[in-house]
Amino acid sequence: MDTLVSKYANSASSASFDDADNLGQNMAGWDAASQFALPAFDIPMVANPVDFLRAHTDASAENRIRIQHGTTTLAFKFQGGIIVAVDSRASGGSYIASQTVKKVIEINPYLLGTMAGGAADCQYWERELGRRCRLYELRNKERISVAAASKILSNMVYDYKGMGLSMGTMITGWDKSGPQLFYVDSDGTRMRGERFSVGSGSTFAYGVLDTGYDFNLSIPDALELGRRAIYHATHRDAYSGGSVNVFHVKETGWVFHGNFDVNDLHWEYQAQPKGPIV
Amino acid sequence: MEYNGGAVVAMVGKNCVAIACDKRLGVQAMTISTEFPKTFQATPKTYIGLPGLATDVQTLSEKFRFKVNMYKLKEEREIEPRTLAHLVSSTLYERRFGPWFVEPVIAGLDKENRPFICSTDLIGCINFAKDFVVSGTTSNQLYGMCESLWEPDLEPEDLFETISQSLMNAVDRDCLSGWGAQVTVITPDQVITRTLKSRQD
Amino acid sequence: MTSRLQQTKGGFNFDNHVRNTMMEGKGMGIPKATKTGTTIVGLIYKDGLVLGADTRATAGPIVADKNCEKIHYLAPNMYCCGAGTAADTEMTTALISSQLELHRLSTGRQARVVTAMTMLKQMLFKYQGQIGAALILGGVDINGPHLYTIYPHGSTDKLPYVTMGSGSLAAMSVFESRFKPDLSREEGISLVQEAIEAGIFNDLGSGSNVDIVVINSEKVEVLRNYAKPNERGVKEASYKYQRGTTEVLKTSIRDLVDIKETVNIHTSEAMDIS
Repeated sequence: MDTLVSKYANSASSASFDDADNLGQNMAGWDAASQFALPAFDIPMVANPVDFLRAHTDASAENRIRIQHGTTTLAFKFQGGIIVAVDSRASGGSYIASQTVKKVIEINPYLLGTMAGGAADCQYWERELGRRCRLYELRNKERISVAAASKILSNMVYDYKGMGLSMGTMITGWDKSGPQLFYVDSDGTRMRGERFSVGSGSTFAYGVLDTGYDFNLSIPDALELGRRAIYHATHRDAYSGGSVNVFHVKETGWVFHGNFDVNDLHWEYQAQPKGPIV
Repeated sequence: MEYNGGAVVAMVGKNCVAIACDKRLGVQAMTISTEFPKTFQATPKTYIGLPGLATDVQTLSEKFRFKVNMYKLKEEREIEPRTLAHLVSSTLYERRFGPWFVEPVIAGLDKENRPFICSTDLIGCINFAKDFVVSGTTSNQLYGMCESLWEPDLEPEDLFETISQSLMNAVDRDCLSGWGAQVTVITPDQVITRTLKSRQD
Repeated sequence: MTSRLQQTKGGFNFDNHVRNTMMEGKGMGIPKATKTGTTIVGLIYKDGLVLGADTRATAGPIVADKNCEKIHYLAPNMYCCGAGTAADTEMTTALISSQLELHRLSTGRQARVVTAMTMLKQMLFKYQGQIGAALILGGVDINGPHLYTIYPHGSTDKLPYVTMGSGSLAAMSVFESRFKPDLSREEGISLVQEAIEAGIFNDLGSGSNVDIVVINSEKVEVLRNYAKPNERGVKEASYKYQRGTTEVLKTSIRDLVDIKETVNIHTSEAMDIS
């Protein structure tokens, strides 16, 4: 009897795509809920996944996996919208894996995410966020608010809290209520703010940012402040470097404002006369 | 080694040697100084490079200065680079079970103006080389650069370019080294020290 | 003040040990010592013995020295192959070599191999394996040829054919299948060469060239780089940078001037003493 029931029973949620014969039935039973279900990962069959991961990523581990770390990213609100500036170095341990990494993730023409911590974690989850934002748009015929988008992200990573995700990101964009800036990290923190800097070089960037910040900054001055803060961070922080990518978020969406090699910036700034700080 | 960062390389040329170092002093991720060269003059024609833990770099550079001066007073002559290598080796091996965290490099011309280079590990195992020696946090990258760029019988000017490019391109793949470089080329009648323009990130 | 400047009396200094343990505990990177992940061998042939070694020194996965010397001089009639921590094999053999020289001068006789072996094992035993030296000691004395292996903890073996180091298994497989007593000199050398090459090619810790030392009652032959089975290919292109490529911020040139003192002796006329 049970075998008969299971043979003819057809539940969309339990059906799998593995079987080609079942494809049609699956399509018929398309379930919005399953599409919104969190992507499921295989968790190592150990008591504590974090300890397991640490055993393979610690400096003392014999064949350690080096996860990309080290970054300087910043974003701040001002009268003309939001400036986002990031460096471009990827490092594994003390080895520089790349100097040309894109650390600003263009989620859609109105949303930007920044990347600090594990590169793969940031890329994957912000891509997943992009997919969900698009679904939201199709379903509701309007763009998602930055608050909602950032909350989707923080809720997603919160489900994996304590399992070794590493992500420190800023979600920015322009929605109905104007320019928006949120900080979201893999601990589950989500904060609205005026001014953020994330990554190993963030303290250095904050130093410059706080000194030069003014809400009434003109757009060129604001872009220069972001660029300069990142440059100073790359100079002092060993794990930041490469070049600066600058973005401006405005009502019509974000605009890319160029890529600047910090080596060129250094000698340019060196040649300039030093102005007063205040 | 990884605490303060740093890189040193030495190369043999035609009747000349060159030794180069980066200038960063860091405390883990933070760059504290960009004016911290790691090569020191031992005799008019011999230099010693000391990459490693900065506190030991300073202690040992003074220790070696003292020992080289004592040698000069006792022997009434300059120490030969090969002798200096053994002096360094014994000094390090004395601390076999509590080592100094440095991996010295020695480069110089002996009394017949023959090139001499060598490196030692942190407990004083000497590595005599005929071509080049590398040391510090950037050693892997430097091995790669030197193996491809170095060739025998380089003139002082070409040796300068080879060692400079080897060092600068190597430290560009290391977070903990760079921020300027210093190159010393030793020839029988000149010691040329140059400060290089390099990336500052 | 003078006491501060006094040179040390010799022996090890443990002053940095506490600091280093603290640093290691904090997870700070500790540099790796050079190791010789070696193949070293020795065998007794008809008239004496043959020692062999590869020439690779490693630091972790990196080849630190492609042509190092692992057969160390101990005495005119004795040589010693070293495997393990490179500095330890170097310094231990140097120390015993110096003691043997003094022994020879004080007794006025050629030192015996068993004496060297005893000195080495007593030193290594004293340090309880902390000195990471694995040695093959070979020499000829009034009692004929002797071949010993000495382990880091101080144990010893006396055998007609021996291998040590990470390539010892590869080398021993050659010896076990081909060794026989009373080989000729040429047969002995070629068997040792093959054993070392087995290590060079089959063990990642060993590589580069074959060093051989042949000792018999007549003479000692040091055959440095007896075989070079890994000669590097010639570079086809030059990667020489054009002069002036490197940007220079500051140059300082110090001219080395040879100061030659010429003493002119003026011979003045003899003093007038009349």
